Amino acid sequence: MSNDPDKVWPTGLTLREAEEVHSYLIDGTRVFGVIALLAHILVAVTTPWLG
Amino acid sequence: MGVSTMFDYKRFALGRLVAIAPHYLPFADAASAEVPLSRLLRLSLFQMTVGMALVLMVGTLNRVMIVELQVPATLVALMLALPLVFAPFRALIGFKSDTFRSALGLRRLPWIFKGTMYQFGGFAIMPFALLVLSGYGEAVDAPRWIGLSAAALAFLLVGAGMHIVQTVGLALATDLVPPEDQPKVVGLMYVMLLLGMILSALVYSALLTTYTPGRLIQVIQGTAVVTIFLNGLAMWKQEARDRSRALAPRSETTFTEALQHLSVQPGMLRLLAVIALGTAGFGMADVLLEPFGGQVLNMTVAETTRLTVVLACGSLLGFALASRWLGRDGWQPISVAILGALIGVPAFLMVMASAALLTVPLLIAATLIAGFGAGLFGHGTLTATMRAAPREQIGLSLGAWGAVQTTAAGAAIALGGLIRDVMHVSPDVGAQGAALTGSAAAIPYLPVFGLEAGLLLLALIVAWPLRRQDIDTRQSTAISPSTGIASRQDSIAETRP
Repeated sequence: MSNDPDKVWPTGLTLREAEEVHSYLIDGTRVFGVIALLAHILVAVTTPWLG
Repeated sequence: MGVSTMFDYKRFALGRLVAIAPHYLPFADAASAEVPLSRLLRLSLFQMTVGMALVLMVGTLNRVMIVELQVPATLVALMLALPLVFAPFRALIGFKSDTFRSALGLRRLPWIFKGTMYQFGGFAIMPFALLVLSGYGEAVDAPRWIGLSAAALAFLLVGAGMHIVQTVGLALATDLVPPEDQPKVVGLMYVMLLLGMILSALVYSALLTTYTPGRLIQVIQGTAVVTIFLNGLAMWKQEARDRSRALAPRSETTFTEALQHLSVQPGMLRLLAVIALGTAGFGMADVLLEPFGGQVLNMTVAETTRLTVVLACGSLLGFALASRWLGRDGWQPISVAILGALIGVPAFLMVMASAALLTVPLLIAATLIAGFGAGLFGHGTLTATMRAAPREQIGLSLGAWGAVQTTAAGAAIALGGLIRDVMHVSPDVGAQGAALTGSAAAIPYLPVFGLEAGLLLLALIVAWPLRRQDIDTRQSTAISPSTGIASRQDSIAETRP
Protein backbone atom coordinates (compact mmCIF):
# COMPACT_ATOMS: atom_id res chain seq x y z
CA MET A 1 0.00 0.00 0.00
CA SER A 2 1.26 3.45 -0.87
CA ASN A 3 2.11 6.06 1.69
CA ASP A 4 -0.14 8.73 0.26
CA PRO A 5 0.25 11.78 2.53
CA ASP A 6 -3.40 12.69 1.91
CA LYS A 7 -4.60 9.52 3.57
CA VAL A 8 -5.96 10.14 7.02
CA TRP A 9 -6.07 7.83 9.98
CA PRO A 10 -7.82 5.44 10.64
CA THR A 11 -9.72 4.65 7.45
CA GLY A 12 -6.99 5.14 4.86
CA LEU A 13 -9.30 7.36 2.84
CA THR A 14 -8.08 10.70 1.61
CA LEU A 15 -9.78 13.76 3.01
CA ARG A 16 -11.87 14.27 -0.13
CA GLU A 17 -12.94 10.63 -0.18
CA ALA A 18 -13.92 10.80 3.47
CA GLU A 19 -15.93 13.95 2.82
CA GLU A 20 -17.74 12.24 -0.03
CA VAL A 21 -18.68 9.24 2.08
CA HIS A 22 -19.88 11.66 4.72
CA SER A 23 -21.99 13.54 2.18
CA TYR A 24 -23.86 10.33 1.29
CA LEU A 25 -24.56 9.74 4.97
CA ILE A 26 -25.83 13.29 5.41
CA ASP A 27 -27.96 13.08 2.25
CA GLY A 28 -29.47 9.81 3.37
CA THR A 29 -30.24 11.14 6.81
CA ARG A 30 -31.92 14.22 5.39
CA VAL A 31 -34.06 12.33 2.88
CA PHE A 32 -35.09 9.62 5.32
CA GLY A 33 -35.72 12.27 7.99
CA VAL A 34 -38.10 14.18 5.74
CA ILE A 35 -39.80 10.94 4.65
CA ALA A 36 -40.30 9.85 8.27
CA LEU A 37 -41.70 13.27 9.19
CA LEU A 38 -44.14 13.17 6.26
CA ALA A 39 -45.24 9.64 7.11
CA HIS A 40 -45.90 10.69 10.72
CA ILE A 41 -47.96 13.69 9.63
CA LEU A 42 -50.03 11.54 7.26
CA VAL A 43 -50.66 8.91 9.94
CA ALA A 44 -51.64 11.67 12.35
CA VAL A 45 -54.17 12.91 9.82
CA THR A 46 -55.87 9.50 9.50
CA THR A 47 -55.60 8.32 13.10
CA PRO A 48 -54.68 11.23 15.41
CA TRP A 49 -52.77 10.15 18.49
CA LEU A 50 -52.30 13.55 20.08
CA GLY A 51 -55.20 15.46 21.57
CA MET B 1 10.37 8.43 21.13
CA GLY B 2 6.73 8.56 21.99
CA VAL B 3 5.91 10.14 18.68
CA SER B 4 7.68 7.44 16.72
CA THR B 5 5.98 4.54 18.54
CA MET B 6 2.69 6.27 18.02
CA PHE B 7 3.52 6.52 14.35
CA ASP B 8 4.33 2.83 14.15
CA TYR B 9 1.08 1.98 15.82
CA LYS B 10 -0.79 4.07 13.31
CA ARG B 11 1.00 2.43 10.45
CA PHE B 12 0.27 -0.98 11.86
CA ALA B 13 -3.41 -0.23 12.33
CA LEU B 14 -3.65 1.31 8.90
CA GLY B 15 -2.06 -1.75 7.35
CA ARG B 16 -4.51 -4.04 9.15
CA LEU B 17 -7.48 -1.95 8.16
CA VAL B 18 -6.44 -1.82 4.55
CA ALA B 19 -6.05 -5.58 4.58
CA ILE B 20 -9.49 -6.30 6.03
CA ALA B 21 -11.44 -3.50 4.53
CA PRO B 22 -12.06 -4.76 0.97
CA HIS B 23 -14.19 -7.62 2.27
CA TYR B 24 -16.61 -5.21 3.89
CA LEU B 25 -16.76 -2.49 1.30
CA PRO B 26 -19.40 -2.32 -1.39
CA PHE B 27 -16.85 -1.87 -4.16
CA ALA B 28 -15.53 -4.40 -6.60
CA ASP B 29 -11.95 -5.45 -5.86
CA ALA B 30 -10.79 -4.58 -9.32
CA ALA B 31 -12.21 -4.06 -12.75
CA SER B 32 -11.80 -7.69 -13.69
CA ALA B 33 -11.91 -8.64 -17.33
CA GLU B 34 -14.18 -11.62 -16.80
CA VAL B 35 -17.45 -11.13 -14.94
CA PRO B 36 -18.95 -14.48 -13.90
CA LEU B 37 -22.56 -15.23 -14.64
CA SER B 38 -23.46 -15.42 -10.95
CA ARG B 39 -22.38 -11.81 -10.52
CA LEU B 40 -24.42 -10.71 -13.53
CA LEU B 41 -27.39 -12.62 -12.16
CA ARG B 42 -27.02 -10.76 -8.88
CA LEU B 43 -26.71 -7.44 -10.70
CA SER B 44 -29.92 -8.07 -12.60
CA LEU B 45 -31.85 -8.20 -9.31
CA PHE B 46 -32.40 -4.44 -9.55
CA GLN B 47 -34.68 -5.15 -12.50
CA MET B 48 -36.81 -7.23 -10.15
CA THR B 49 -37.47 -4.20 -7.93
CA VAL B 50 -38.41 -2.20 -11.01
CA GLY B 51 -40.83 -4.96 -12.00
CA MET B 52 -42.26 -4.99 -8.47
CA ALA B 53 -42.84 -1.25 -8.50
CA LEU B 54 -44.48 -1.46 -11.94
CA VAL B 55 -46.87 -4.23 -10.92
CA LEU B 56 -47.73 -2.58 -7.64
CA MET B 57 -48.56 0.74 -9.26
CA VAL B 58 -50.09 -0.23 -12.59
CA GLY B 59 -51.77 -3.46 -11.48
CA THR B 60 -52.46 -3.77 -7.78
CA LEU B 61 -52.87 -0.17 -6.64
CA ASN B 62 -54.85 0.65 -9.77
CA ARG B 63 -57.47 -1.82 -8.59
CA VAL B 64 -57.21 -1.18 -4.86
CA MET B 65 -57.56 2.59 -5.27
CA ILE B 66 -60.64 2.27 -7.48
CA VAL B 67 -62.43 -0.67 -5.85
CA GLU B 68 -61.44 -0.64 -2.18
CA LEU B 69 -60.52 3.00 -1.62
CA GLN B 70 -63.15 4.41 -3.99
CA VAL B 71 -60.90 7.05 -5.48
CA PRO B 72 -62.31 8.43 -8.77
CA ALA B 73 -60.90 6.51 -11.77
CA THR B 74 -59.66 9.60 -13.60
CA LEU B 75 -57.72 10.70 -10.52
CA VAL B 76 -56.20 7.22 -10.23
CA ALA B 77 -55.17 7.26 -13.89
CA LEU B 78 -53.63 10.70 -13.40
CA MET B 79 -51.68 9.58 -10.33
CA LEU B 80 -50.39 6.44 -12.03
CA ALA B 81 -49.31 8.47 -15.06
CA LEU B 82 -47.20 10.79 -12.88
CA PRO B 83 -44.03 8.64 -12.96
CA LEU B 84 -44.08 8.98 -16.75
CA VAL B 85 -43.32 12.68 -16.27
CA PHE B 86 -39.81 11.62 -15.27
CA ALA B 87 -39.20 9.35 -18.26
CA PRO B 88 -37.60 12.03 -20.49
CA PHE B 89 -35.22 12.89 -17.65
CA ARG B 90 -33.62 9.47 -17.99
CA ALA B 91 -31.26 10.85 -20.62
CA LEU B 92 -30.21 13.59 -18.19
CA ILE B 93 -29.73 11.06 -15.38
CA GLY B 94 -27.59 8.91 -17.65
CA PHE B 95 -25.51 11.92 -18.66
CA LYS B 96 -25.07 13.00 -15.04
CA SER B 97 -23.85 9.56 -14.08
CA ASP B 98 -21.45 9.51 -17.04
CA THR B 99 -19.83 12.74 -15.93
CA PHE B 100 -20.28 12.30 -12.18
CA ARG B 101 -17.44 13.74 -10.11
CA SER B 102 -16.50 11.50 -7.25
CA ALA B 103 -13.41 11.47 -5.09
CA LEU B 104 -14.03 7.75 -4.64
CA GLY B 105 -13.87 7.21 -8.39
CA LEU B 106 -17.43 5.95 -8.60
CA ARG B 107 -20.09 7.09 -11.02
CA ARG B 108 -22.94 4.56 -11.02
CA LEU B 109 -23.16 3.45 -7.39
CA PRO B 110 -24.02 6.87 -5.87
CA TRP B 111 -26.89 7.26 -8.31
CA ILE B 112 -28.29 3.83 -7.63
CA PHE B 113 -28.09 4.64 -3.91
CA LYS B 114 -30.06 7.82 -4.51
CA GLY B 115 -32.60 6.09 -6.75
CA THR B 116 -33.14 3.32 -4.22
CA MET B 117 -33.60 5.92 -1.51
CA TYR B 118 -36.34 7.67 -3.48
CA GLN B 119 -38.03 4.38 -4.29
CA PHE B 120 -37.98 3.42 -0.62
CA GLY B 121 -39.16 6.85 0.48
CA GLY B 122 -42.06 6.82 -1.96
CA PHE B 123 -43.22 3.41 -0.82
CA ALA B 124 -42.82 4.41 2.83
CA ILE B 125 -45.35 7.23 2.62
CA MET B 126 -47.54 5.77 -0.13
CA PRO B 127 -50.00 3.71 1.97
CA PHE B 128 -50.73 6.60 4.35
CA ALA B 129 -51.03 9.00 1.45
CA LEU B 130 -53.56 6.67 -0.20
CA LEU B 131 -55.53 6.29 3.03
CA VAL B 132 -55.67 10.07 3.47
CA LEU B 133 -56.63 10.46 -0.19
CA SER B 134 -59.53 8.05 0.21
CA GLY B 135 -60.72 9.79 3.38
CA TYR B 136 -60.12 6.84 5.69
CA GLY B 137 -60.66 7.37 9.44
CA GLU B 138 -60.29 10.95 10.61
CA ALA B 139 -58.93 11.96 7.22
CA VAL B 140 -62.49 12.68 6.03
CA ASP B 141 -62.24 16.08 7.66
CA ALA B 142 -58.73 16.78 6.41
CA PRO B 143 -58.32 19.30 3.61
CA ARG B 144 -58.34 17.63 0.19
CA TRP B 145 -54.92 18.95 -0.87
CA ILE B 146 -53.09 16.95 1.81
CA GLY B 147 -54.11 13.59 0.38
CA LEU B 148 -53.67 14.72 -3.21
CA SER B 149 -50.22 16.19 -2.81
CA ALA B 150 -48.99 13.37 -0.58
CA ALA B 151 -50.14 10.69 -3.01
CA ALA B 152 -48.68 12.61 -5.95
CA LEU B 153 -45.38 12.94 -4.10
CA ALA B 154 -45.33 9.22 -3.29
CA PHE B 155 -45.91 8.20 -6.90
CA LEU B 156 -43.38 10.77 -8.14
CA LEU B 157 -40.74 9.51 -5.72
CA VAL B 158 -41.25 5.87 -6.66
CA GLY B 159 -41.29 6.74 -10.36
CA ALA B 160 -38.16 8.88 -10.16
CA GLY B 161 -36.34 6.24 -8.15
CA MET B 162 -37.37 3.52 -10.59
CA HIS B 163 -36.13 5.52 -13.59
CA ILE B 164 -32.82 6.34 -11.92
CA VAL B 165 -32.17 2.77 -10.77
CA GLN B 166 -33.01 1.25 -14.14
CA THR B 167 -31.06 3.75 -16.24
CA VAL B 168 -27.92 3.71 -14.13
CA GLY B 169 -28.18 -0.02 -13.44
CA LEU B 170 -28.24 -0.80 -17.16
CA ALA B 171 -25.33 1.57 -17.70
CA LEU B 172 -23.37 -0.25 -14.98
CA ALA B 173 -24.14 -3.59 -16.61
CA THR B 174 -22.87 -2.25 -19.94
CA ASP B 175 -19.72 -0.98 -18.22
CA LEU B 176 -19.03 -4.37 -16.73
CA VAL B 177 -19.28 -6.77 -19.64
CA PRO B 178 -17.34 -6.97 -22.90
CA PRO B 179 -19.45 -6.36 -26.04
CA GLU B 180 -19.77 -10.04 -26.92
CA ASP B 181 -21.43 -10.73 -23.57
CA GLN B 182 -23.91 -7.87 -23.86
CA PRO B 183 -26.70 -9.97 -25.44
CA LYS B 184 -26.48 -12.30 -22.45
CA VAL B 185 -26.83 -9.38 -20.05
CA VAL B 186 -29.73 -7.85 -21.96
CA GLY B 187 -31.54 -11.18 -21.94
CA LEU B 188 -30.91 -11.53 -18.24
CA MET B 189 -32.19 -8.02 -17.52
CA TYR B 190 -35.41 -8.55 -19.46
CA VAL B 191 -36.03 -11.97 -17.95
CA MET B 192 -35.51 -10.57 -14.45
CA LEU B 193 -37.91 -7.69 -15.11
CA LEU B 194 -40.54 -10.15 -16.31
CA LEU B 195 -39.84 -12.56 -13.46
CA GLY B 196 -40.12 -9.71 -10.95
CA MET B 197 -43.46 -8.70 -12.43
CA ILE B 198 -44.88 -12.23 -12.47
CA LEU B 199 -43.67 -13.12 -8.96
CA SER B 200 -44.81 -9.88 -7.39
CA ALA B 201 -48.20 -10.08 -9.13
CA LEU B 202 -48.70 -13.54 -7.59
CA VAL B 203 -47.51 -12.42 -4.14
CA TYR B 204 -49.62 -9.25 -4.14
CA SER B 205 -52.77 -11.05 -5.20
CA ALA B 206 -52.21 -13.67 -2.49
CA LEU B 207 -51.52 -11.07 0.21
CA LEU B 208 -54.38 -8.76 -0.71
CA THR B 209 -57.15 -11.37 -1.12
CA THR B 210 -58.65 -10.09 2.13
CA TYR B 211 -58.14 -6.36 1.98
CA THR B 212 -57.72 -4.31 5.14
CA PRO B 213 -56.07 -0.91 5.45
CA GLY B 214 -53.47 -2.49 7.73
CA ARG B 215 -52.69 -5.13 5.14
CA LEU B 216 -52.27 -2.42 2.48
CA ILE B 217 -49.71 -0.65 4.69
CA GLN B 218 -47.86 -3.92 5.31
CA VAL B 219 -47.74 -4.83 1.63
CA ILE B 220 -46.52 -1.47 0.36
CA GLN B 221 -43.97 -0.93 3.12
CA GLY B 222 -42.86 -4.54 2.74
CA THR B 223 -42.22 -3.71 -0.89
CA ALA B 224 -40.07 -0.79 0.25
CA VAL B 225 -37.91 -3.05 2.43
CA VAL B 226 -37.59 -5.73 -0.25
CA THR B 227 -36.62 -3.03 -2.75
CA ILE B 228 -33.80 -1.66 -0.62
CA PHE B 229 -32.61 -5.18 0.18
CA LEU B 230 -32.60 -6.43 -3.42
CA ASN B 231 -31.00 -3.26 -4.79
CA GLY B 232 -28.32 -3.46 -2.12
CA LEU B 233 -27.67 -7.09 -2.96
CA ALA B 234 -27.57 -6.29 -6.68
CA MET B 235 -25.06 -3.46 -6.33
CA TRP B 236 -22.76 -5.00 -3.76
CA LYS B 237 -19.18 -5.15 -5.05
CA GLN B 238 -20.18 -4.47 -8.65
CA GLU B 239 -18.52 -1.19 -9.49
CA ALA B 240 -14.77 -0.85 -9.19
CA ARG B 241 -13.19 2.31 -7.80
CA ASP B 242 -11.31 4.09 -10.50
CA ARG B 243 -8.51 6.30 -9.24
CA SER B 244 -7.79 7.78 -12.65
CA ARG B 245 -11.42 8.83 -12.99
CA ALA B 246 -11.33 10.41 -9.53
CA LEU B 247 -8.26 12.46 -10.41
CA ALA B 248 -9.39 13.40 -13.93
CA PRO B 249 -10.23 17.08 -14.42
CA ARG B 250 -13.88 18.03 -14.41
CA SER B 251 -15.53 17.39 -17.74
CA GLU B 252 -16.60 20.60 -19.45
CA THR B 253 -19.20 19.02 -21.75
CA THR B 254 -22.72 20.26 -21.19
CA PHE B 255 -25.80 18.10 -21.55
CA THR B 256 -26.78 19.63 -24.90
CA GLU B 257 -23.27 19.11 -26.27
CA ALA B 258 -23.33 15.50 -25.15
CA LEU B 259 -26.75 15.00 -26.74
CA GLN B 260 -25.49 16.49 -29.99
CA HIS B 261 -22.46 14.24 -29.89
CA LEU B 262 -24.73 11.25 -29.38
CA SER B 263 -27.15 12.25 -32.11
CA VAL B 264 -24.42 12.55 -34.74
CA GLN B 265 -23.45 8.92 -34.08
CA PRO B 266 -24.39 7.18 -37.32
CA GLY B 267 -27.78 5.53 -37.05
CA MET B 268 -28.47 6.59 -33.46
CA LEU B 269 -31.46 8.83 -34.16
CA ARG B 270 -32.88 6.27 -36.57
CA LEU B 271 -32.47 3.56 -33.94
CA LEU B 272 -34.30 5.67 -31.36
CA ALA B 273 -37.12 6.27 -33.86
CA VAL B 274 -37.37 2.52 -34.44
CA ILE B 275 -37.53 1.95 -30.68
CA ALA B 276 -40.30 4.53 -30.28
CA LEU B 277 -42.41 3.13 -33.14
CA GLY B 278 -41.92 -0.54 -32.27
CA THR B 279 -42.43 -0.12 -28.54
CA ALA B 280 -45.62 1.84 -29.17
CA GLY B 281 -46.75 -0.85 -31.62
CA PHE B 282 -46.17 -3.74 -29.25
CA GLY B 283 -47.15 -1.88 -26.07
CA MET B 284 -50.58 -0.65 -27.10
CA ALA B 285 -52.20 -4.05 -26.64
CA ASP B 286 -50.77 -4.68 -23.17
CA VAL B 287 -53.80 -3.44 -21.27
CA LEU B 288 -56.38 -4.16 -23.99
CA LEU B 289 -55.83 -7.87 -24.63
CA GLU B 290 -57.59 -8.95 -21.43
CA PRO B 291 -60.74 -6.83 -21.88
CA PHE B 292 -60.75 -7.82 -25.56
CA GLY B 293 -60.72 -11.52 -24.67
CA GLY B 294 -63.42 -10.99 -22.07
CA GLN B 295 -65.78 -8.79 -24.06
CA VAL B 296 -65.38 -10.16 -27.54
CA LEU B 297 -64.61 -13.83 -27.03
CA ASN B 298 -66.47 -14.24 -23.73
CA MET B 299 -63.43 -15.56 -21.93
CA THR B 300 -63.57 -15.80 -18.12
CA VAL B 301 -61.29 -13.77 -15.84
CA ALA B 302 -59.07 -16.80 -15.27
CA GLU B 303 -58.79 -17.33 -19.01
CA THR B 304 -57.92 -13.72 -19.79
CA THR B 305 -55.32 -13.74 -17.02
CA ARG B 306 -53.83 -16.77 -18.74
CA LEU B 307 -53.71 -14.66 -21.89
CA THR B 308 -51.28 -12.31 -20.14
CA VAL B 309 -49.25 -15.31 -19.00
CA VAL B 310 -49.12 -16.54 -22.61
CA LEU B 311 -47.90 -13.11 -23.70
CA ALA B 312 -45.16 -13.23 -21.06
CA CYS B 313 -44.16 -16.76 -22.09
CA GLY B 314 -43.86 -15.64 -25.71
CA SER B 315 -41.60 -12.78 -24.61
CA LEU B 316 -39.44 -15.15 -22.53
CA LEU B 317 -39.01 -17.36 -25.57
CA GLY B 318 -38.10 -14.27 -27.60
CA PHE B 319 -35.46 -13.16 -25.08
CA ALA B 320 -33.93 -16.63 -24.92
CA LEU B 321 -33.71 -17.06 -28.69
CA ALA B 322 -32.47 -13.49 -29.19
CA SER B 323 -29.69 -14.05 -26.62
CA ARG B 324 -28.66 -17.18 -28.48
CA TRP B 325 -28.77 -15.64 -31.95
CA LEU B 326 -26.93 -12.50 -30.90
CA GLY B 327 -24.39 -14.22 -28.69
CA ARG B 328 -23.44 -17.53 -30.25
CA ASP B 329 -24.60 -17.07 -33.81
CA GLY B 330 -23.35 -13.50 -34.14
CA TRP B 331 -26.45 -11.91 -35.62
CA GLN B 332 -26.71 -8.14 -35.91
CA PRO B 333 -28.95 -6.79 -33.10
CA ILE B 334 -30.95 -4.75 -35.58
CA SER B 335 -31.71 -7.87 -37.64
CA VAL B 336 -33.20 -9.49 -34.55
CA ALA B 337 -35.29 -6.37 -33.91
CA ILE B 338 -36.47 -6.35 -37.53
CA LEU B 339 -37.42 -10.02 -37.28
CA GLY B 340 -39.39 -9.21 -34.11
CA ALA B 341 -41.35 -6.46 -35.84
CA LEU B 342 -41.87 -8.72 -38.88
CA ILE B 343 -43.39 -11.35 -36.61
CA GLY B 344 -45.49 -8.75 -34.80
CA VAL B 345 -47.39 -7.53 -37.87
CA PRO B 346 -49.12 -10.85 -38.72
CA ALA B 347 -49.67 -11.47 -34.99
CA PHE B 348 -51.88 -8.40 -34.67
CA LEU B 349 -53.62 -9.22 -37.93
CA MET B 350 -54.36 -12.62 -36.41
CA VAL B 351 -55.83 -10.92 -33.32
CA MET B 352 -58.14 -8.97 -35.63
CA ALA B 353 -59.04 -12.18 -37.45
CA SER B 354 -59.87 -13.88 -34.16
CA ALA B 355 -62.51 -11.21 -33.57
CA ALA B 356 -64.11 -11.95 -36.92
CA LEU B 357 -63.96 -15.73 -36.56
CA LEU B 358 -64.59 -15.75 -32.78
CA THR B 359 -62.03 -18.48 -32.18
CA VAL B 360 -60.20 -18.44 -28.85
CA PRO B 361 -57.28 -20.69 -29.93
CA LEU B 362 -56.45 -18.23 -32.70
CA LEU B 363 -56.28 -15.38 -30.20
CA ILE B 364 -54.04 -17.40 -27.87
CA ALA B 365 -51.72 -18.29 -30.74
CA ALA B 366 -51.65 -14.65 -31.86
CA THR B 367 -50.85 -13.54 -28.31
CA LEU B 368 -47.97 -16.00 -28.08
CA ILE B 369 -46.57 -14.81 -31.40
CA ALA B 370 -46.99 -11.15 -30.46
CA GLY B 371 -45.15 -11.79 -27.19
CA PHE B 372 -42.41 -13.61 -29.07
CA GLY B 373 -42.03 -10.71 -31.50
CA ALA B 374 -42.00 -8.19 -28.66
CA GLY B 375 -39.27 -10.19 -26.92
CA LEU B 376 -37.10 -10.28 -30.03
CA PHE B 377 -37.71 -6.59 -30.72
CA GLY B 378 -36.98 -5.44 -27.16
CA HIS B 379 -33.83 -7.53 -26.90
CA GLY B 380 -32.55 -6.52 -30.33
CA THR B 381 -33.05 -2.79 -29.83
CA LEU B 382 -31.54 -2.67 -26.32
CA THR B 383 -28.50 -4.65 -27.46
CA ALA B 384 -28.19 -2.37 -30.47
CA THR B 385 -28.25 0.67 -28.15
CA MET B 386 -25.55 -0.83 -25.94
CA ARG B 387 -23.37 -1.62 -28.95
CA ALA B 388 -23.89 1.82 -30.46
CA ALA B 389 -23.09 3.64 -27.22
CA PRO B 390 -19.73 5.41 -27.22
CA ARG B 391 -17.70 4.22 -24.21
CA GLU B 392 -17.86 7.51 -22.33
CA GLN B 393 -21.55 8.04 -23.12
CA ILE B 394 -23.01 4.72 -22.03
CA GLY B 395 -25.21 6.31 -19.38
CA LEU B 396 -26.55 8.91 -21.78
CA SER B 397 -27.24 6.34 -24.52
CA LEU B 398 -29.11 4.02 -22.20
CA GLY B 399 -30.89 7.02 -20.71
CA ALA B 400 -32.03 7.99 -24.19
CA TRP B 401 -33.15 4.40 -24.81
CA GLY B 402 -35.13 4.40 -21.55
CA ALA B 403 -36.64 7.82 -22.15
CA VAL B 404 -37.83 6.91 -25.64
CA GLN B 405 -38.96 3.42 -24.68
CA THR B 406 -40.88 4.39 -21.52
CA THR B 407 -42.49 7.45 -23.07
CA ALA B 408 -43.54 5.51 -26.17
CA ALA B 409 -44.99 2.66 -24.11
CA GLY B 410 -46.87 5.04 -21.80
CA ALA B 411 -48.22 7.14 -24.64
CA ALA B 412 -49.23 4.02 -26.56
CA ILE B 413 -51.14 2.54 -23.62
CA ALA B 414 -52.92 5.85 -23.02
CA LEU B 415 -53.71 6.27 -26.73
CA GLY B 416 -54.93 2.67 -27.06
CA GLY B 417 -57.29 3.10 -24.11
CA LEU B 418 -58.47 6.44 -25.45
CA ILE B 419 -59.24 5.09 -28.94
CA ARG B 420 -61.16 2.16 -27.50
CA ASP B 421 -63.17 4.36 -25.12
CA VAL B 422 -63.98 6.93 -27.81
CA MET B 423 -65.13 4.22 -30.22
CA HIS B 424 -67.07 2.62 -27.41
CA VAL B 425 -69.27 5.62 -26.74
CA SER B 426 -69.58 6.94 -30.27
CA PRO B 427 -73.23 6.57 -31.34
CA ASP B 428 -72.73 4.71 -34.62
CA VAL B 429 -71.08 1.83 -32.80
CA GLY B 430 -74.21 1.39 -30.74
CA ALA B 431 -75.43 3.08 -27.60
CA GLN B 432 -75.79 -0.32 -25.98
CA GLY B 433 -72.00 -0.75 -26.39
CA ALA B 434 -71.36 -2.41 -23.06
CA ALA B 435 -74.02 -5.02 -23.61
CA LEU B 436 -72.59 -6.09 -26.95
CA THR B 437 -70.52 -9.23 -27.18
CA GLY B 438 -69.01 -11.08 -30.09
CA SER B 439 -67.89 -9.45 -33.32
CA ALA B 440 -69.88 -6.25 -32.72
CA ALA B 441 -68.08 -5.66 -29.43
CA ALA B 442 -64.78 -5.98 -31.28
CA ILE B 443 -65.31 -2.76 -33.23
CA PRO B 444 -63.74 -0.45 -30.59
CA TYR B 445 -60.67 -2.70 -30.42
CA LEU B 446 -60.04 -3.23 -34.12
CA PRO B 447 -58.60 0.24 -34.86
CA VAL B 448 -56.14 -0.23 -31.98
CA PHE B 449 -54.85 -3.57 -33.25
CA GLY B 450 -54.78 -2.19 -36.79
CA LEU B 451 -52.77 0.81 -35.58
CA GLU B 452 -50.33 -1.53 -33.85
CA ALA B 453 -49.69 -3.46 -37.03
CA GLY B 454 -49.29 -0.13 -38.86
CA LEU B 455 -46.78 1.20 -36.31
CA LEU B 456 -44.75 -2.00 -36.58
CA LEU B 457 -44.72 -1.67 -40.37
CA LEU B 458 -43.46 1.90 -39.96
CA ALA B 459 -40.77 0.68 -37.56
CA LEU B 460 -39.75 -1.89 -40.17
CA ILE B 461 -39.46 0.75 -42.87
CA VAL B 462 -37.36 3.00 -40.63
CA ALA B 463 -35.19 0.12 -39.42
CA TRP B 464 -34.50 -1.44 -42.81
CA PRO B 465 -31.55 0.83 -43.82
CA LEU B 466 -29.89 0.18 -40.43
CA ARG B 467 -29.15 -3.39 -41.48
CA ARG B 468 -26.44 -2.26 -43.87
CA GLN B 469 -25.10 0.45 -41.63
CA ASP B 470 -22.58 -0.44 -38.97
CA ILE B 471 -23.88 1.34 -35.90
CA ASP B 472 -21.43 -0.47 -33.69
CA THR B 473 -18.83 2.11 -32.74
CA ARG B 474 -16.67 -0.36 -30.89
CA GLN B 475 -16.61 -3.17 -33.38
CA SER B 476 -15.69 -0.67 -36.06
CA THR B 477 -12.16 -1.12 -34.70
CA ALA B 478 -12.57 -4.52 -36.37
CA ILE B 479 -11.15 -7.13 -34.06
CA SER B 480 -12.27 -10.74 -34.00
CA PRO B 481 -14.57 -11.76 -31.14
CA SER B 482 -12.07 -14.34 -29.87
CA THR B 483 -9.77 -11.57 -28.66
CA GLY B 484 -12.70 -9.60 -27.34
CA ILE B 485 -11.14 -8.54 -24.05
CA ALA B 486 -8.01 -7.15 -25.58
CA SER B 487 -9.93 -5.44 -28.33
CA ARG B 488 -12.18 -3.80 -25.79
CA GLN B 489 -9.23 -2.27 -23.98
CA ASP B 490 -7.86 -1.04 -27.30
CA SER B 491 -11.08 0.50 -28.37
CA ILE B 492 -11.51 2.21 -25.01
CA ALA B 493 -8.13 3.79 -25.48
CA GLU B 494 -9.13 4.84 -28.97
CA THR B 495 -12.47 6.35 -28.09
CA ARG B 496 -11.02 8.34 -25.19
CA PRO B 497 -10.34 11.91 -26.25
